[in-house]
Formats: sequence, C-alpha cells, structure tokens
Amino acid sequence: MRGITLNYFLRRLGIFFLTIWIAGTIIWLIPHLAPGDPISAMVARLASRSGFVENSAEIIAGWKERFGLNDSLPIQYVRYLGNLIHLDFGYSMANFPTPVSQLIGQALPWTVGLLLLATTLTFLLGNFLGAIMVWRRTPRLIKYIIPVGMMFTSLPSILAALFLAYVFAFLLNWFPLIGSYDMGMQPGFNLPFIISVIQHGTLPALSIIIVSFGYWTLGMRGMMITVEGEDYMSLARAKGLGPFYMLYRYMVRNAILPQITAFAITLGTLISGQVLVEYAFSYQGMGTVIYNAILNQDYPVIEGTSFMLILITALAVLIIDLVYPLIDPRISYGAK
Amino acid sequence: MKSRFKRLGLGIMLSLMALPLAVQVVSAQTADVPREDTVIFDIDATSIASPTNFNDLVPGTNKNQGAHQAMWEPLFILNYATGKIDPYLGTSFTPNDKQDVWTLKLHDGIKWSDGVPFTADDVVFTIQLLLDDKTKTLSDAANMQHWIKSVTKIDDLTVQFDLNLPNPRFQLDYFSVRIWGSVTMKPKHVWEGQDPTTFTFYDPAKGWPIGTGPYKLTSASPEQFVWDEDPNWWGAATGFHALPEPKRLIWIVAGSETNKALLMSNHQLDSAMNITLGTLQAVQAKNPNAVAWVKDAPYSFADPCPRELEFQTEAAPWDNKDLRKAVSLIIDRTQNIAIAYQGTTTPSTTMFVSYGGMNPFIDAITKAGYANDVVAHVEDGQKLIEAAGYAKNGSGIYEKDGKTLDLAIMVGNDTQEYVLSTNELVEQLQQAGVNASSQPVNGATSQNANQTGNFQAQWAWNTCGSVSEPWNSMNQLNVSYYKPAGELATANTERWNTDGAKAYSKIVDQIGSLPLGDPSIPGLVAEAYKYIADETPIVPLVQAEKIVPFDTTYWTNWPTSDNAYTVPTTWWQNTFFILFNLKKATKS
Repeated sequence: MRGITLNYFLRRLGIFFLTIWIAGTIIWLIPHLAPGDPISAMVARLASRSGFVENSAEIIAGWKERFGLNDSLPIQYVRYLGNLIHLDFGYSMANFPTPVSQLIGQALPWTVGLLLLATTLTFLLGNFLGAIMVWRRTPRLIKYIIPVGMMFTSLPSILAALFLAYVFAFLLNWFPLIGSYDMGMQPGFNLPFIISVIQHGTLPALSIIIVSFGYWTLGMRGMMITVEGEDYMSLARAKGLGPFYMLYRYMVRNAILPQITAFAITLGTLISGQVLVEYAFSYQGMGTVIYNAILNQDYPVIEGTSFMLILITALAVLIIDLVYPLIDPRISYGAK
Repeated sequence: MKSRFKRLGLGIMLSLMALPLAVQVVSAQTADVPREDTVIFDIDATSIASPTNFNDLVPGTNKNQGAHQAMWEPLFILNYATGKIDPYLGTSFTPNDKQDVWTLKLHDGIKWSDGVPFTADDVVFTIQLLLDDKTKTLSDAANMQHWIKSVTKIDDLTVQFDLNLPNPRFQLDYFSVRIWGSVTMKPKHVWEGQDPTTFTFYDPAKGWPIGTGPYKLTSASPEQFVWDEDPNWWGAATGFHALPEPKRLIWIVAGSETNKALLMSNHQLDSAMNITLGTLQAVQAKNPNAVAWVKDAPYSFADPCPRELEFQTEAAPWDNKDLRKAVSLIIDRTQNIAIAYQGTTTPSTTMFVSYGGMNPFIDAITKAGYANDVVAHVEDGQKLIEAAGYAKNGSGIYEKDGKTLDLAIMVGNDTQEYVLSTNELVEQLQQAGVNASSQPVNGATSQNANQTGNFQAQWAWNTCGSVSEPWNSMNQLNVSYYKPAGELATANTERWNTDGAKAYSKIVDQIGSLPLGDPSIPGLVAEAYKYIADETPIVPLVQAEKIVPFDTTYWTNWPTSDNAYTVPTTWWQNTFFILFNLKKATKS
C-alpha cells in the first residue's frame, strides 16, 4: 500500500493487540477489585422488591459456585482470557440465562443507529461551521450567529435532553418523550415502524448534536486559520482559483486531518459517553446496558461491552493510521 | 449553484417539519387497540435487559413487567384491609391440627392460555422441581426444601403437602402474595424435561410464555411489554370473575421521575410507581385527574417495610446496648419525617408496619411500655452516653480515651428517600454529640456488607415481613440465624447473640408454633419485645412511604384509602384485583 511498509504494518498490528490485551486486563481487574459481587447485587435487587429474601446466603453460595466466583482470581483471569480469544463472554450474571452476546446484540443496533448517526452529523456540521467561520466569503451575519449557537456546547447533554423533551415532547407534543418506538407498536421492518424509530430518535440525536458540534467547530476553525496563513494559499489566490475550489481542495482537506483522528477516537467513547441521554429518553441502547451492568456488578456484561468498545476504538485508530497516507500524500511510513 | 443549494435546504427543512405530522398519522393508524381500552403502567427500572427471559425460577428474573400482574395468577391473595386470605386459583388451603399437613383445593375449570387444563399435576410438578434442586439456587427452592417433606396429588383438584415441621404460616408466607409475589405454578406440559436453570420459557412460535391469567404476552422489548386480553380466560368461562374491562395492558420503562411526571401530565401513563411529593404536586397541577392513595397529606401508601436503623451489635463501641439505646432516644422521628419526607409518612413506634392486622401486636407492645417515643429525648440519650464514660470535646462531640464516638451509617444510594432520611438522622446525631456520618453505597456493596456484618449501623428494613401476623418480622432477629462477622448471614444481620437475644428467640419460636390468630400471641409479642426495647439491636424510624399516583382520565376505580379493595402496588401480584376493578372513564 502507498506509504506503508510491511515492517510498519506488523509493528502497528502488534501495538493493536498489546493495547487490547492491556485494556482487556484493566476492565477485568477493576470490577473484581470493587467491593460486593454480582450475586449479592442480584439478591439486593430482589430484597428491594420483596422486602426480604429467605435463605439468601444459600442462593448466593450456589450461584457463586455456578459462575466460578469462588475460584481464585488468577484462575478467573485465565478463563476470561480464554473467552476473549473466542469472543465468548458467557452469560450475564444479573440476567441469567441470557448470554452477553444477546444483550449486546439487542442494544447495539439502536446505539449504532442513533449515536453513530448523531456523531457523524455532529462531525460534519461542526467541521462545516468551523470551516465557514474562517472562509472569507462567508456573510458576516453567519459569522456572528454561529458562536451564539455554540453556547449550547457548554451544556451537559442531560440538560439539553431535558430541555428538548420539555419543549418538543411535552409542550409542543411534536415528538415522543420516551422509548425507541411507539407504545404498543409491533417491531418489524415496515414503514410505520421505521418512521416511529426515526421520530423517537430525533430528540436524543439532537441532544447529542447541539452539545457537541461546537467541539468540532472550534477545532476546525483553529486548523483553518493556520491553513489560511500558509504560502500555498497565497499562491492559490494569485493563481485566481475559485473560492469554493480553494475552500474544499486547499483549506478543508488540509485542516480536517487531525479532526479525522479525533473522530476515530470519539467513536469508542460515544457509546459510553451518552448513557445519560439514553437514560433521559429511556432509550434501549448500549449505554443503558453498560449502566445497568456497572450498577449490578455484572462482570461478564461489563467485560463484554467494554471489550467491544475497546475493540472498536482500537480498530478505528488502526484503520485511520493505515489509511492516513491515502488521505494525505505528504504522510509516509516508509523507511527513511 | 446558489439556487440549487437553496432548493435543497428548503426541501430538507420541509421534510423535517413534516416528519412529526406524518408519524402522528401513522401512529394513529397502527394503534390497533384504542388508548381508551389500554392501561399504561410503568416499570421501576432503567430497562429490562433480558425481555425474553420468563424463567422466574432463576433469582433476579423480572416478573413485574406484567408477567405476575397479568399472566401468572397466584393461588391466593392476602387482603391487606381485612387481613383475610382471598381465594384465587385455590379455593382453600387448610392445615391439620398439628399444622404439618396442608391440603390445597383448586378451582375447577382452570386452563392455561394454550387450552391445557391446570390441575394438581402442575402444582405437584412445580413444587417437586424446587424440592429436587440440590443446589438450592432456584427461587424458593431452599424455602420449599426447608418446610416440605413431600407433595402428593390426591386428585385433579387436590394436593397434599406433608411438612418437615409445623408451620401455621405456610399458606400465608409462600402462596398468598404476602408481599410482592408468591410461588407461581409452572405448566408441567411445557416445563417437563427442561433445564430449570437455563430454560427461558419464551418462544412466540409455540405461544410461550403461557399462564392462566386473563392476558397473554403480545410483545416484549427492553423498554415495553404489551399484554392483550385473552377472551378464553378460564375465570370468565367458569364465572370466577368477568373479563377485566381493559383490552390491552402496556408496561413501559418510563425512566426518570421527570419522565413519569411529564407522561402522566399528558395522560400517557395511567399508573406510576413511587414518586416524590413535589412530583405529585407538579403532576396534579397539570393533570387534575391524577390521584394518590390518600387525597391529602401524607398522600402515601405504607409499604410493608418500615425503615429502621440497624446496628451491627458486635462492632465496638456499638456492642454497648446503652449507646444503642441512646441513639434511639436522641432521634426525633417527627423531625425526620418533616424534613426528609416532607410530611408524607408517619413515625414508627415498633418494628411493625402500621396495618390494621398488626394493631393488636403494636397495641400490646405499647401497653407494656416497650414502644419507642416518636419525639426525641436528647438529654436522656446523652446521659446514657456519659454514663458509658464519654465526655464532649471542644467540638461538641463525645469522646472517650481520645477517641470520638463515631457512627458510620451505611445506606443504599439508589433512592433519594434513603439518602435524605439518613442525612437528616446524621444531622440530629451530630447535634447531640454523636459523630455520625452517612455512607451511601450501591446495592451490591450494601448487601455484601449487610450479610457479612461489615458495618457499624445501616439504614435499612431487614426485619420486613409481617403484614398480618408478628412472627415473620420478629423471626428476622432470631439467634438461630446468627453467624459471626465475616460469614454470610441470611437474617439476624445485626449479629444479636446476647442472653437477651436468646430469651427473645425462645419466645419468637413459641409464637411461630401457634396457629394464626391465637389469642396468646399479642401477650407473647410484648414479652419478647421487652428484649428489643432493652438492647436496641434496631431503632424503628418511620413507616415506608410510597406515593403511587393514578390518572383517572381513561380509567377509574383505582385503589385508594377510601376504596381500599386492595393495596395500590401495581408491581405486585395483587394487581389482578386492580384489573378486575378498573372501570372505563365516562367522557363528560
């Protein structure tokens, strides 16, 4: 591939696996160091519902035995590593006998549908606004309006969610308040269901977009200012190139490179970072699964979901590293 | 170029603006059961992670998403108002004189929703499944194995339970929805041959899950469960009860209290679980049709688990009974209610819930002089502390041998009520000179610390259990459950193991052997309670408040204190009685 040597590729692949192993070990270690355990959490949940759980000590002892929680930590760790290799995270302890893969499988499409779309839109919108803030031909009025709109960036997403829910769901009744689709509706691949999903996803997506586009706008604006001062921009102007051509080919293409790296890293954090938005709208995504797993100290689910996030982030960064020479011809990982 | 951008922008804007309108039309068309025939309840959870698991034998499986309120009917339901046990799938459950052989009679004509008759075979199968669980990890397996020697089918409608030892509360404790739920019966023709630990009891193609109730599952997802009425329900066919008026029930994960308030204000939620007073008032300001259990203060329904401060009685310095008693004297329950509960509950004078059926026992304790006062006696408490060798330091905190009198109070952090009440207690104790602090922890941590004795004191309700007789709550402090700190204890997590505790337990065991309603029980309760009053392993605080609002816009005749046909707990198995009583609101 252009700009990449085999040596670099193998070295980068090694770093990829090392990263996954270290991160995988940390996500295994942290929940096991915390006081309490998933079975006690389960009994606590039962007790909060029914007041008192008779013979809870026997229940705890029995399920700990079944899940191998009585084994020593090194044995549990080796078993965990073995499962990682097969991408088998076993059963959820809080929701036995549901496999972790099923929990992830039922939540992931909602998260990908909502958060990936919202983050991509935020990225595009933020970078577009950042670019036109610097572009000389942008009307002055727009240059004043954009910073005003960016005041939402200082809001926590949960507050934006509450604000949007109150105005657009409660007062105006334009959008539904909670859920991923209409109450009583049968999920299926049909137009009414798809429209219902879009309608239910609008406010959660807007909550994410309005609080995070400013991050991209400011980043892009800074890069664009730097690029605009470059000699090749003066040359382009002297050559009489068209303003749109210069904006896209000379300014945006050069300014956007660091933004793309940041976007790859954001992909990993977007799921865990939007737990509160999912909570505010009772949306059934990965954030809710992770939140509940942590609350219940559900080791296999914490490990499974966190590992998937690590894998997604590491893969995204790996891919970006490998395709950088294609995006920017100046970059080459070849031997000096 | 410019005009092309303009056209595109205009098109996108129009599409976005038209989207809500389009969806409203589609929603109306796809709603096959009208809103006025639907009741919407909320589930107290952030989501149901495994919506297609209906194996409630595995501890932790959700069943308050409608499963045990609309589909799995109980054998009996305890009527909190009368203290009597109402028949349901069972018509009678009677013991022999020794209370160690119980005979269950079933209604004739009960059918599972797939049409197969429900008979004694299903009851025997379910109980035997629990008796055969050698690991004792299935829900109620340990209980059933503790009490039941054998279970036998006499005929299709009669089952005999031979117990290992007499138990006058056998029916009440396990088959009568004493609190929340009961042992639910499994269809033998579905469960036979399945692994009871891994079977999910869900297969829409086969019509699973099934129950005997008037509603069948239509769809299940992490955020909503839809149940539609079964026109072939056995109850209507046999004349047990007419089909309930609601055609569809939906349980939704409403999420935050704000969401519940907004939904109920807009008539999109008919029944919400436990909200705060401020939220109720906000809802009622927008929706005058929203009602609570009581019309005015305290608005709330008393949950069966009164709140109390529990000591680890072997953890120094709180192994000194006088110091524990001092804490009880210092606490002003009325102040705790005024500040932490905004006046929405009532103070406790004993360990018991203040239901009508418990009054004879509460009265006996009060008459004997062992009930705690609801207001503070700070000076009396301080005298006890000083008598134990403590004196106040420059900061106004009691100190002995250079060590301050510290009291760390562990409390679950998952509900606002718990933390607020504890913080207020801490304030009272600090003012009196006890260096109290609040330790909010998550459910897993508190459960683990509670069972291993790794705490000084905790704000909890571990003596919860009694609602119509006293033994269940009192037995939670029985020395027979005692385990040294570090070992898992199921009950008596206070580690109360003194001579007084042993004398107390002896009387409690005697109460446990007497038939329900025996006239000697109130006197024995007072006799035993003397040891609690003297040694104070627990400090009764307040009754548990639950504000449970209902919207009467679409449905009326919800249970209220003026119309207490059952308790308003729509997350319990007694919800069947609520469904039977709901009436469609007449539009004026």
